[in-house]
Amino acid sequence: MKRLDNKIIFTGPVGAGKTTAIGSISDIPPIKTDAAASDMTLHRKSHTTVALDYGVLNLDGGAKVHLYGTPGQERFDFMWDILSTGGIGLILLLDNSRPNPMKDMQFFMNAFKDFLREAPLVIGVTKTDVKPSPSVKHYAEILARVDQRPPIFEIDGRNREDVKNLVMALLFSIDPGLEG
Amino acid sequence: MREQMLKSILSELNGSSADIEASAVISSDGLTMAALLPQDVDEDRVGAMAAAMLSLGERTARELARGELEQVMVKGENGYILMSHAGKDAVLTVIARKDAKLGLIFLDAKRAAKAIADIL
Repeated sequence: MKRLDNKIIFTGPVGAGKTTAIGSISDIPPIKTDAAASDMTLHRKSHTTVALDYGVLNLDGGAKVHLYGTPGQERFDFMWDILSTGGIGLILLLDNSRPNPMKDMQFFMNAFKDFLREAPLVIGVTKTDVKPSPSVKHYAEILARVDQRPPIFEIDGRNREDVKNLVMALLFSIDPGLEG
Repeated sequence: MREQMLKSILSELNGSSADIEASAVISSDGLTMAALLPQDVDEDRVGAMAAAMLSLGERTARELARGELEQVMVKGENGYILMSHAGKDAVLTVIARKDAKLGLIFLDAKRAAKAIADIL
């Protein structure tokens, strides 16, 4: 692997599991900045990220992947810019149990569109056990219409292997010769 | 009702020193609860920023063994922004002029933060 230090960003709507996913794969105790929720978020969970989550994933061969998670609410969009600076790829987590995950996807892809011009995207769909539709295939079809074909996976953010697969898919799309 | 009470604390704070230009009370997840800010300032964005700063300050203070966070101060060319906890779930943000007497502002902010914490 050429670069020794890589930074990737986890984003997505409130409750998609960004903090959980980083906690699942980080090899250091993750840094979390959560505060008690007082907005609509409260219907879904008690705490919410207000600045960032940070973790590190050590790959075989000594490479380090720095993992940054963003807050989900739009009022924190300034953190999206701050955190994505210098990143090499984006992982978008979508919560299938939200009212309109398809719209969430379009919203975040639009919010990060400048970043995505330079860097690849991988999508992880969470909570498919709570609500199985839309399917991964459906997401892919909608994206194909705008000529986007990012890898899309159904994942459980609590499962280390699931989350690691997302990260590896992202790294492979940057450097296909990579060995995980 | 609560917003009115918070606002009266803020206006007292703003009136306590000519150096204080504006102030706001924000929930620790970044929503403005009461604010006396200039008209051209977006309350939602200021709220989110204050919450993010304070939360990062807290983590940094803990990481570097400085104990519980008391305040975060930002100094720009044109003045200061002071953020401190007002109880567990709220943040008091004070915006002050560049030649402000900081000691007095700290004192006023601390007093206001205590009054806010008592209401919430």
